[in-house]
Amino acid sequence: MNYDVMVIGGGIAGEEVAINLANLGYKIIMVEKDYSIGGKMIHLSKVFPTLDCAACITTPKVSETARHENITIFTHSEVKNIERISDKEFNAELVQHPRYVTNDCTGCSICEDNCPVVVRDEYQFDMVGRKAVFIPFSIASPRIAAIDIENCILCGLCEKVCPADCIDFTQEEEVSGITVKSVVVATGYNLFDASQIQRFGGGEFKNVVTAMQMERQLVPTRPFNTVLRPKDGKMPDNIAYVLCVGSRDKTVGNPICSQVCCMYSTKQAQLLMGALPMADVTIYYINIRAFGKGFNEFYQQTGDMGVEFIKGKVGRITEKEDGNLIVRYEDIESGKLKEAEHDHVVLSVGILANTDYQSMFNNKAVLESDPFNYVKQTQELCCPPKTSIEGVFVAGTAAGPMDIPDSILSAGAASAETASYLRSVKN
Amino acid sequence: MDKGNNSGVKILVFSTEKISDPAIDLAGLLKMHYPPVVYTMIVPCSSAIKPRWIMHAFEKGFDGVFIAADGTDCPFSEKCTENTSEIVAQTHTIMKEKGMDAARLKMAAICSVCAEPFVKHMNTFVNYFSN
Amino acid sequence: MKNRIGVYICHCGSNISDYVDVEHVRELAEKVEGVILAKTTMFACADSTQKEMIEDIKSEKLDALVVASCSPKLHLETFRNVALRAGLNPFNYIQVNIREQVSWAHSDKPQEATIKALKLVYASIATVKHSKALKPIKIPSVNTVVVVGAGVAGMRAAIDLADMGSYVYIIEKEHFVGGRVSQWDNLFTTGETGREVISNIYNKIMAYENIKLFTGAQIVSKAGSVGDFNIKVEIKPRYFKPGAKVDPDKLEEVIQACPVEVEDDFNFNLTKRKAIYRNYPSEFPEIPAIDADHCTKCGICEEKCNDVDFSMKAETIEINAGAVLVSTGFDPYEPNKGEFGYAENDFVISLQQMKRLIELSPGELVFKDRKIKKIAYIYCVGSRQSEGPNKYCSRYCCTSAIYTALLLKEKYQGIKNIHLNRGIRTYGKQELLYNEASEKGDVFLQFDEGTPPKVSAENGQIKIKAEDILTAGREIEFSVDLVVLVTGMVPRKDNSIANIFKVPIGRDKFFNEIHPKLRPVETVIDGILISGACQGPKNIPESTNSALSAAAKANTLISKGDIEIEPKLAEIDEASCEWCDKCQVVCPYNAILKKDVNGKMVAEVNKANCKGCGMCLPVCESNSIQLIGYTDIEIESFIDTLAMD
Repeated sequence: MNYDVMVIGGGIAGEEVAINLANLGYKIIMVEKDYSIGGKMIHLSKVFPTLDCAACITTPKVSETARHENITIFTHSEVKNIERISDKEFNAELVQHPRYVTNDCTGCSICEDNCPVVVRDEYQFDMVGRKAVFIPFSIASPRIAAIDIENCILCGLCEKVCPADCIDFTQEEEVSGITVKSVVVATGYNLFDASQIQRFGGGEFKNVVTAMQMERQLVPTRPFNTVLRPKDGKMPDNIAYVLCVGSRDKTVGNPICSQVCCMYSTKQAQLLMGALPMADVTIYYINIRAFGKGFNEFYQQTGDMGVEFIKGKVGRITEKEDGNLIVRYEDIESGKLKEAEHDHVVLSVGILANTDYQSMFNNKAVLESDPFNYVKQTQELCCPPKTSIEGVFVAGTAAGPMDIPDSILSAGAASAETASYLRSVKN
Repeated sequence: MDKGNNSGVKILVFSTEKISDPAIDLAGLLKMHYPPVVYTMIVPCSSAIKPRWIMHAFEKGFDGVFIAADGTDCPFSEKCTENTSEIVAQTHTIMKEKGMDAARLKMAAICSVCAEPFVKHMNTFVNYFSN
Repeated sequence: MKNRIGVYICHCGSNISDYVDVEHVRELAEKVEGVILAKTTMFACADSTQKEMIEDIKSEKLDALVVASCSPKLHLETFRNVALRAGLNPFNYIQVNIREQVSWAHSDKPQEATIKALKLVYASIATVKHSKALKPIKIPSVNTVVVVGAGVAGMRAAIDLADMGSYVYIIEKEHFVGGRVSQWDNLFTTGETGREVISNIYNKIMAYENIKLFTGAQIVSKAGSVGDFNIKVEIKPRYFKPGAKVDPDKLEEVIQACPVEVEDDFNFNLTKRKAIYRNYPSEFPEIPAIDADHCTKCGICEEKCNDVDFSMKAETIEINAGAVLVSTGFDPYEPNKGEFGYAENDFVISLQQMKRLIELSPGELVFKDRKIKKIAYIYCVGSRQSEGPNKYCSRYCCTSAIYTALLLKEKYQGIKNIHLNRGIRTYGKQELLYNEASEKGDVFLQFDEGTPPKVSAENGQIKIKAEDILTAGREIEFSVDLVVLVTGMVPRKDNSIANIFKVPIGRDKFFNEIHPKLRPVETVIDGILISGACQGPKNIPESTNSALSAAAKANTLISKGDIEIEPKLAEIDEASCEWCDKCQVVCPYNAILKKDVNGKMVAEVNKANCKGCGMCLPVCESNSIQLIGYTDIEIESFIDTLAMD
């Protein structure tokens, strides 16, 4: 299989690169490890600072990517052994994991209704359950079912009920060789695992959730159709945000700022004021990083709406019997240690490098990393998409923390560099 | 906020695709409220509005017509303000002939981020008819 | 008349359905004559919904489509494409904006919002009945881009544009390239100097045959539109012969001889320069220039140097281009007189002046004969103003100030830095610099916007009084040798480019993009793109990313040789037209011609020139002009339906 460009990752950055280059006439292969393209953004509620719904921005891009005649997408697939074989070409292995459902699936979800196995739904950040055969999420692309074989009990019920006859347990991993002229790494980021910081009770206290879990409760396709405390299903009325969880924290090995948490927390606070008009929202912060276009104005507006911003470092969170939480913090403005009771706490977790790219290249072509395991930008000032390998470019948060507007600009830049490179290798 | 106050009033706004309609969108984006009896119809440029359309709106029962003009931001011509004013003047003449209140037709330049001025204009305009 | 209409009403998650009863709208829309089906959908723009629409259009043989959702600015094209893929003409489609102009604007009055949404849907159904299938018009496009501004953004965009096959003209107003970056010495976070960065880019540019650079050049007018702009550029004389190679020692002598001294902008007025000048010894192009605004033409330089040529005249050139990429950069905020002692106290300078001062002070840090050891930095000057107009954060200044403070410590002995800030915003990896400064003993005090520090002069000493919220509002008083105001970015004072190209201006007064996420480098004016700090504060990598993005967009737009434009042009009814020339006079594009039809003179529209602005419509006394898409019947059906109770 020959293509001009391999785009690794089908999030907003990867889609932007793929669409830009496909519009210039280049043939693109997009490799996405997840069951659907759309990346992290497709799961968000509304996005700062314009409060556009994230789906309204991603789904058209997803749709354009999916139907573009110059783009071929492989979901639930990985790429290995990328190697530069000449001045003009790379070889790689494309590994397609079995989905156990053929592309004829119509997404009717009858299989899902009949499957007896219930596991945690990772697309709802474990807040609700899903079946072992499932459509990943309502606006997934492709919107077809998949079987989570790890949890499947092979009862065969789905196979019996499927009206389109597309359950296929005989599918196996397929490995194929591909040749491309250039590679764009758009593998995105991972979220910090909040349970690593025990003193905040993440994963232990039920009413302590991560920002992504809160984000999902604010999405139109949300699991409970309202915001609820996980412990007792009560609507919270006094919510606290703890910022810099897993960011600016040497003790967890991530000294840098994640760049987005201040703003997403501020945004969630605004959305909560809308969803729960009676609720109090408090944000504990070290510094508010509202630096992008329209961000500072948004932050000011949030304060004006009545969200309380407390400059304070949270030391520990403890749980009361009724599920409420005691937040102990150093109130910087008074210099005193204080305590406050909240009935719901959101940990604003930071973002970390997704290091998957490190194992995609074989040892003859090392894609260098920066000290924080992001893809190293070798000409950060004058050519941010450039990496340590000629013909390999980086787009979006694979290069470092970034908000959505910056990711899109970074992807635009990667498109320009890739297009320039492709013209140079043609000659 | 008093409901019913503007009941019965109906306003037609001619907005322009590139300049004033984005401002009206921005007003919505910022949740800046204005009376819901304001209806917008997009035209390419405020200098493209035929007086007969305006008169048609009055005849059909609109109380007021507001032209959200391109003003100096017009992407087509520097003479836009002049041309739009001419349309308003012509229509005013027809309105006078028919004995209509000239204040029922208003024009103001609304730039692409003039959300706030737009909302103010709408509040005063609707108030004019409610009182 | 269309009579097999499909109507879709979008929940937009909950953006619309929280305020508008979409099911109610659907029920009533379904009953309208000619409507075959009406559906609600969670996300009309989602892939699965698009597929469903296509199937509906095909299976129900729909002949027109109405989607009530968000603003057409976002998704008009999305649904036109849906129509196209289903075999329906995209111009038999209308998008109704029930989000920005209904649910959001009237979230305080859900019932009335529902009524408004319903009426707009009714009116659009009435209008779409009269819609005509149209073929898109293709206009030829020149694969040439005019880049305005030869700073890092403009020059980097030029390189990629040239690499992608476009011809590029760079127009720089100054006599030298490099913009702001050439003024900075070491740059965060790589440590490269501004000079190195600019030299590299400039030398690359010189090697391209398809990049032409004009310095001392200013755009004076623009005509035409996307694909075919005609841009006039005035080039000021440099008064040095082109290609002159002046011996550096000789040049120094000539410069010394010039009797005219003016403030040196390049050094933010810290120093003076002559009317004949270069910004630093290797500034590009490597030919000095004579500042015509200040030169007295005394002739001394001409006597000393054969390359000086006062006979050079201003030249005007015309460029035909398909797109324009504006990258005019920013101005540093200029504090008001007395703002933290600025322009009153000699020892209060701006961050930008500080940066120049470092480069101008190789050995010791001495300013106005004072040895500088203890420096206070006051942050957010001109940014995040509670009273002033600049509500925005300038984004680069926290990191820039900290980096500058670290450089000072590295370069000079005994420097003490005190940072009076409003919360340090060293986002992302820049955080490390903040950590480093703290570790190296820089002091960080934080003040509240309500209680800014006070700067006063006492016996030649500068005293600072501040309330530090990091220590519970303790009042601190100390004296320093120099105060650096950490001044942010403001839009360029010179707004001629905005005026000529009609670039929209945002609430922060920077140039405004169509949408920060969907179309971040495009403006509502087709073919005019924006990049770098003219769109809003940015550091260098961010400017470069935006410049390269704009290059990609510009190239995609014009490189195919033609551009599809809306076929919404004026049409003349020859039967009723009595040639009077009014339409011809008002048309800004010379698109109206006079033609003879069997002895009767009538107007004719030149389709290649018509931009569909409609200015000819109201001037026609016989009402013989219709604008496609805005015909009397369409407009009046819309009005009729809205007016119904």
